[in-house]
Amino acid sequence: MLAVDLTGDAVKAKNGSMVAYDGQMAFKKMTGGGEGLRGMVTRRLTGEQMTVMEVQGHGTCFFADRASEINLVNLRGEKLYVESSNLLCTDAGLRTGTTFTGLRGGATGNGLFTTTVEGSGQAAIMSDGPAVVLRVSAQYPLSVDPGAYIAHTGNLQQSFQSGINFRTLIGEGSGEAFQIRFEGEGLVYVQPSERNTIGGDI
Amino acid sequence: MNFGPVIGGPGGPTVFDPHTLPSDDNVNAYTFCVELKGSQWFLQKGKMIAYYGRMEFNGVGNGRFDRLLRTSFHSPMHAADWVVAEGSGKMLLADRAFDVNSYDLDNGNLTIRSGNLLAYQPTLALKQSIVPGFLTLIGTGKFVAASNGPVVFMEPPLRVDPQALVGWADCPSPCHHYDHGYMSGVLGGLRSLTGIGGSSGEEHQFEFVGAGTVLLQSSETLMAEQAIGAVGAGAESAGVPGAGYGGGHGQQGPLGQLGVPRMPGQLGDLQRRLGL
Repeated sequence: MLAVDLTGDAVKAKNGSMVAYDGQMAFKKMTGGGEGLRGMVTRRLTGEQMTVMEVQGHGTCFFADRASEINLVNLRGEKLYVESSNLLCTDAGLRTGTTFTGLRGGATGNGLFTTTVEGSGQAAIMSDGPAVVLRVSAQYPLSVDPGAYIAHTGNLQQSFQSGINFRTLIGEGSGEAFQIRFEGEGLVYVQPSERNTIGGDI
Repeated sequence: MNFGPVIGGPGGPTVFDPHTLPSDDNVNAYTFCVELKGSQWFLQKGKMIAYYGRMEFNGVGNGRFDRLLRTSFHSPMHAADWVVAEGSGKMLLADRAFDVNSYDLDNGNLTIRSGNLLAYQPTLALKQSIVPGFLTLIGTGKFVAASNGPVVFMEPPLRVDPQALVGWADCPSPCHHYDHGYMSGVLGGLRSLTGIGGSSGEEHQFEFVGAGTVLLQSSETLMAEQAIGAVGAGAESAGVPGAGYGGGHGQQGPLGQLGVPRMPGQLGDLQRRLGL
């Protein structure tokens, strides 16, 4: 559960994720995630939909969603890439948007697009079990199972690597047929659980 | 405005890199890190969540692993669920956000529910237990197992709920124990047939005797189990426990096979109560 202290300012949160509050709060649904008409159209087209509400007031507001683990991310001008289904709450000052992820999105089973959060402030992301934060640097690239990936920040290049060979085709697959390889500088958040992906069965 | 603290969550995010990740130890309660230095580990399919370094994952049954399999893998029925990881680097293992822990065996033996075993060192030999759905590890080395909630260690003599049993070490196999007072007589028969009249759901237990250790998980929700450890019916399986009725899920009712825990007061089923 996430507790947010508000003193007259606002946060954006997943619609319906408030579980309790004290003080004075006003909840307002933000059509199109507060990204304007263009954002609305983009989200509709990309399938990366999220319904967001704006919470404003004085006091403490508590957020939670399906008892999943909550991880806080501090942003200082960098960009956070996260699946819209894993995003719980952000500072109202952070800009959200959508971006094309390429093949990786197809493998995680979350579509070819992902949500970006940009600016300075905090964001809360959800995971099945506490997320492990892994640093990627030039000499230490990282490979991640698509089903365990939840978010990343920093300047990272993603590539898709596949371990499919003739053994996969004769039924001796390794179960780890696809990985996303991250190279560059940044942080990757992985969860100790795997979503069902097409790759997981091969 | 001020975010947090996250109630019940981790204090602050620790950022790991290949130097700060532990070697063959837990990263947190739900994630385990294995270090490979040109060595090999057996893992159950799909439990690797991320890795640094160069690694290769190959299904067992691969010609290159013939020698390795001869010494450390004796469960042909589970071959499709296991892979060999080799290379160098650090690899993270996790399973559906369940608790994971590593255990060291020193010239010992341990039997574990097949769905709970995540990985083991090839210095151990994995063999199929004669109890359907369980695997036995023999030798010296480290293995990683998952459990729904922390593992509790108990000593026999002991009777345990079948759903809470994770495994046992160094003691003879368990046997079934039925609460006969509750099942005998006309009323008892009716109760076990229909579930009406309050079956407690605890009439059937596993009984352990002898010296050793029994491992229990603190939840009765079983992990979704693959239908492995089942032995085929037929002439070649004569004398093998579980053969003849195909299922091999003697300890579970039909609901158990669907992954639904048996709740008290549910309709009883003759087959399970009478051990048919």
